[in-house]
Amino acid sequence: MSSHYEAPIRTPLVLGKKSYHDISNDVARPIEGKANKYWYVAFYISLAAMLWGFGAIAYTIGTGIGSWGLNKNIGWAWDITNFVWWVGIGHAGTLISAVLLLFRQKWRMAINRSAEAMTIFAVFQAGLFPIIHMGRPWMGYWVLPMPNQFGTLWINFNSPLLWDVFAISTYLSVSLVFWWTGLLPDFAMIRDRAVKPFQKKIYGLLSFGWSGRAKDWQRFEEVSLVLAGIATPLVLSVHTIVSMDFATSVMPGWHSTIFPPYFVAGAIFSGFAMVQTLLGIMRKVSSLENYITRLHIEYMNMVIMLTGGIVAIAYATEFFIGWYTGSPYENFTYMSVGAATGPYGWAFYSLILFNIALPQLLWFKKVRTSFIWSFIISIIINIGMWFERFDIIAIVLSKGHLPSTWTRFEPTFIDVAIFIGTIGFFGVLFLLYSRTFPVIAQAEVKTIMKSSGQYYKEQRDNKQQD
Amino acid sequence: MASNKKYWKSVEELNENSSIVDTLQKNEFVSEIPTDEFLGDKETLEASSTSRRDFLKYVGFATAAASLAACEGPVRSSIPYLNKPDDIIPGQADYYATTMADGFDFASILVKCREGRPIKIEPNRDAKGETNARAQASVLSLYDSYRLQQPVKGEDVKSWSEIDSEILGQLDILARENKKMVLLTGTMASPTASKLIKEFQAKHPSLEHIVYDAVSDSGALDAFEQMYGVRALPNYDFSKAETIVSIGADFIDQWQGSSYESSFIAGRKLNEGKMSRHVQFESVMSLTGANSDKRVPVTPSEQVYVLLSLYNAVVGANVSTKATKVDKAIQQAAVQLKQAGSKAVVVTGIQDKNAQLIAMAINEYLQSTIMDVENYKLLRQGDDKKVASLIEDMNNGKVGALFISNCNPIYTLADSNKFVTGLSKVALSVNFSMQYNETSVNTTYSLATSHYLENWGDIEMKKGNFSLMQPTIKPLFDSRQLEDCLMVWLGKTEKYVDYLKKNWNENILEGRSWNTALHDGYFISNKGTSISKNEVSVSSPAAALLSGVKPAAMELQLYMKTGLGDGQQANNPWLQELPDPITRAAWDNYLTISAHDAKENGLMNRTVDNGALNGSKVNLTVNGVVIENVGVLIQPGQARGSVGLALGYGRTQAMKEEMMVGVNAYKFYQNSSKFQSVTIEKIEGEHKFACEQLQHTIAGRDTILKETSLEEYNDKSLVPAKTWNLMPVVSLKHEETDVTDVDLWESHDRTMGHHFNLSVDLSACTGCGACVIACHAENNVAVVGKHEVRVGRDMHWLRIDRYYSSEISSQKEAKESGMSMGDMYAALERPEENPEVAFQPIMCQHCNHAPCETVCPVAATSHGRQGQNHMAYNRCVGTRYCANNCPYRVRRFNWFRYADNDRFDFNMNDQYGKMVLNPDVVVRSRGVMEKCSMCIQMTQATILQAKKERRKVRKDEFHVACSDACSTNAMVFGDINEEKSPITEMLEDKRSYHLLEEVGTKPNVVYQVKVRNTTEA
Repeated sequence: MSSHYEAPIRTPLVLGKKSYHDISNDVARPIEGKANKYWYVAFYISLAAMLWGFGAIAYTIGTGIGSWGLNKNIGWAWDITNFVWWVGIGHAGTLISAVLLLFRQKWRMAINRSAEAMTIFAVFQAGLFPIIHMGRPWMGYWVLPMPNQFGTLWINFNSPLLWDVFAISTYLSVSLVFWWTGLLPDFAMIRDRAVKPFQKKIYGLLSFGWSGRAKDWQRFEEVSLVLAGIATPLVLSVHTIVSMDFATSVMPGWHSTIFPPYFVAGAIFSGFAMVQTLLGIMRKVSSLENYITRLHIEYMNMVIMLTGGIVAIAYATEFFIGWYTGSPYENFTYMSVGAATGPYGWAFYSLILFNIALPQLLWFKKVRTSFIWSFIISIIINIGMWFERFDIIAIVLSKGHLPSTWTRFEPTFIDVAIFIGTIGFFGVLFLLYSRTFPVIAQAEVKTIMKSSGQYYKEQRDNKQQD
Repeated sequence: MASNKKYWKSVEELNENSSIVDTLQKNEFVSEIPTDEFLGDKETLEASSTSRRDFLKYVGFATAAASLAACEGPVRSSIPYLNKPDDIIPGQADYYATTMADGFDFASILVKCREGRPIKIEPNRDAKGETNARAQASVLSLYDSYRLQQPVKGEDVKSWSEIDSEILGQLDILARENKKMVLLTGTMASPTASKLIKEFQAKHPSLEHIVYDAVSDSGALDAFEQMYGVRALPNYDFSKAETIVSIGADFIDQWQGSSYESSFIAGRKLNEGKMSRHVQFESVMSLTGANSDKRVPVTPSEQVYVLLSLYNAVVGANVSTKATKVDKAIQQAAVQLKQAGSKAVVVTGIQDKNAQLIAMAINEYLQSTIMDVENYKLLRQGDDKKVASLIEDMNNGKVGALFISNCNPIYTLADSNKFVTGLSKVALSVNFSMQYNETSVNTTYSLATSHYLENWGDIEMKKGNFSLMQPTIKPLFDSRQLEDCLMVWLGKTEKYVDYLKKNWNENILEGRSWNTALHDGYFISNKGTSISKNEVSVSSPAAALLSGVKPAAMELQLYMKTGLGDGQQANNPWLQELPDPITRAAWDNYLTISAHDAKENGLMNRTVDNGALNGSKVNLTVNGVVIENVGVLIQPGQARGSVGLALGYGRTQAMKEEMMVGVNAYKFYQNSSKFQSVTIEKIEGEHKFACEQLQHTIAGRDTILKETSLEEYNDKSLVPAKTWNLMPVVSLKHEETDVTDVDLWESHDRTMGHHFNLSVDLSACTGCGACVIACHAENNVAVVGKHEVRVGRDMHWLRIDRYYSSEISSQKEAKESGMSMGDMYAALERPEENPEVAFQPIMCQHCNHAPCETVCPVAATSHGRQGQNHMAYNRCVGTRYCANNCPYRVRRFNWFRYADNDRFDFNMNDQYGKMVLNPDVVVRSRGVMEKCSMCIQMTQATILQAKKERRKVRKDEFHVACSDACSTNAMVFGDINEEKSPITEMLEDKRSYHLLEEVGTKPNVVYQVKVRNTTEA
């Protein structure tokens, strides 16, 4: 029988000799069972942080943006830093589910659900900041192109902030639809297993009446593919447009044509790092060791290395071009000798260390395939990418064109509270998700069980021998 | 007598035993209420669709509706005139010519009144009036809610009639006892008031009038009196000067009662290619020193040596002096003085009669036409000796009554304790004051006087130059001016205005019309004056001067800051928030010290993380008097071995809490000398400054503030755009192209209608800050307080950047000397020890290609046809993107609600302070961006006025607040579509450039290169 050439068998994507039913059980367990102590601890901490943040937001809206550390020359700092940071984090989900789907990367199946959930929740956080950073958030709806009674007033299509509104809302809606489409068969699975009528009703609603017929599956596949096609350009467009908030301005350090690709790479870099962080926790907490394997970790680390490399080249380019112009106005951009030797030197070096130096450890396979090292490095990258945005915004604004306007920024209690609050809010959403949603795309994972791994070959061989 | 009448309701009542009447009395309702009829029928009730729940809903709704109806928006009533006063047209401003005189500042002004409220001060150009920042801000002092609102005796409020009878009674008693009475006033310079006081003296022969200036010019007055026989001050006309040498005289800000700012700048005749040369020897960096062509830092004692050496060098005399390290500079100055001959002048701020004599002697020797002794000035009349003997007399119990007017001796006297003990021995002490001030606390009576905007009066500023003061508003409070009190106490029935008019008609007007004089606000007498010079030998004064010098390890120079002056307007938030032109620190006084001395004493300044400035704290001791907790500010240009401390701060009475800032340096003003020797003791802790500019140099970005020398400017062989007014170039198709020739945008046709431009001449700007206050007043700019200024949230629409020259001037220079990049940045950012100073007013540049306009998501800021960059506050959602994208950083965000907010307890938070608001300009709400509008309310009003009158707008008709306030014409505003107007001339000047031309913003504000006369002798 085995006379023909047999291709080497790929590393298995699902471990633990699972049967289909095992997968269903594993995925449904957190939903059907009770939460453990850790979940509650994490949830209450997140909830407390969230409420703290909401309190700080309420205070800001009540008294004014003056409760933040901004001043006349630094009009943005933590607010837009956090905004870009969260949007960046929101990039991995769509990339994993859409781009990797188009490239037929099957390893995405174990992680795409959570990555997309992360995306959506991160975009929620991101979306908060443009609203609350306004001086008059109650007038925030004016950025929408609505027919109005204010005379001939219309929005300003020249403004990158307006492009942001469209880019982010489009991204959020497409991501949401894509995510939900993928969820339909899984919700249906939960619905079918549910014993409590209430649960059955809810999941029935959520699954949009999925029947599991062949036609359902066919449409499901088609829609997924079409949505992946729509979502792919969004991966590039969202952060391109976010970068244009800076790139289209006249500030030295912001006014830079490489920002769009560089920001997209940075966003994927940070998004994958965040996925890595979350999966590192989920894998343990939700007992998903068999689904999120070393292989997944390694693949993601490779993407991180690639995008991190692009980011590093972008930094180098920024640094070189700034120096090469010979313009004194470029002396103090966030990538310059001036920044390194100035009062924000610590932020500059944090960025270099966290975003460029430490991620290089991933070149070692031992580090790359180590769960704990991946987790640590992913957190480092998250911090580093936050600093990147802070540097771009605060360092550039702190040393503008006219030296008389040079100043500094220090966050207030409220600034910190709001940032921590969004992390809490994100945690609350994610924790609720992990208890109510199928966290692994079980329908999809079931399709790849037999396509890789020695175990199934052995099983087949055993069968034949019988 | 009570009435017995009985009224009846029906005939039935006549029947005493009627049951109906009985029932009526017992029951309220004649027949029983048929409750059963509508509640008894259970069936119908149950059939009703209105359940108990529904009923509750209805009740709830009704309650909610009723309470909602009770909620009404706050009603703000604006009450129309029932009988419109003839001279007030609502919405139309009236201007009155009057005169500011508060004893410290004097100015001929125009007062803009709206609906009977004075809201803005403008210089009366016809009367050659000039307004500095304090004069501009004085309108807000009128509305100071901490003013004394009625006469008080101790704590008790009295009526004027009670006061009058009590004081007249006391005067009678004192007259019988033949006790000495003293009227102690600030400089009044009022001929009519003097006449009135003389009349009062005629009635009370024991009354002496003593004039006391908080910051004394007694020495100069004595010197002038000795030399010319009149107790007055010489006047100077710097516009004709070729060489000016000043030894510590801050004549651009305030010196001897007036500012010579405009006259000094008028002498910088760049159009003719000529400029006066100005050398300044001084200790503290003053506004005058900052504007000088050559500044030589010397300690206070060296100032005396410099004066003596200069006298020797110019006159060729040989009075004894002492060599200094700046002798070369003195010789050079002397040579230049002699070259200029009669067009040279020497002035000195040394407050000593002998020093003033020597300066006048030099001028006499040079036959200086700059010093004018015939039209002498009367703006300082204080006599230190008389004040000193008054205090002695008071302590000896010789003074029976003391009337204090327009001065605050207990705050301003160095030894105020002695005055206080003396005062306790005075039977009748009366303080005429606008506030219940430090002196009021110790006097029996405090009589509320009126503000000069509520007063009648006259001022003789220069001999023969008379100005009239007229009320622009009915007194806000139950106050009465000094002159009216004297009128009452003299038993006159007429008002002071009648007395004034009579005196003018009889003694001043020389037969001309009172109405014209009142309308114009001034009157110049044709009577010539002549003055005879006494021969005064200089040798003994010189020796006395030299022997009086006490050099010390550390010498203190007391000075006055542009904002507060002598401190009488300390409760004026506009002035407190005006950053000092030199240090750019607001809300404070502090010890200025050289970097060298700071290092020696372990004192430092540092910028903390939120961008604010902190400095070390010290205790200062002068002759045993200690002032504690003084912040230290390192001041480039401060002479080594000297420190400076500003007077006018540290007030504690009649002040809002937020305004009680700084320390009272008058405690060190001993013997009325600004020079003291001081010991400095460093203490723990840091002082928190509210400094608006932390980077002091231009950091090698020399296209921002372009400078050149007079020689280069006059050199016709140089092409300005290639040399001293360098046009930035970019590469276009691999060729160097002027940045102005490259444009991404299509330009609009701007030849139609008006196109406004504002020109700022950096050679003429002295940095005095009058425009900043004018902008505050015109545009209702909010005051935000010390903390907010400290953290970089001031709201100034117009700021004056001040730059010091750095240790190296360019990156090129650094490369040539082989500096590392880090060292280069540091050297570019560090000011020189004795830097050259330049001022640059910056307001919204109204870019034709405005970066702010493209980034606003809601189009709240957009461009107007007339060149302005508009800001629609109502549309603004407050993203601050526009501010981030503004290369000039002129946009100001409303971080909080600044009006009606107790956290910002300034003029917009009290009912009086709000009266100064300009009704033509909206008060911005929280969360919106604001900025300079190029006073669009003023230009629009002009256009509408012309339209109403069916004519074209006249050439010089357009105005903005800043250019109106500018004494030196550094700012010129106008329509560039109007050919041959001043603004087009400025635009075409070879000195013109736009700020940050290379960004491509095409601003409508144009700057002119600063030119210095660096020609050495």
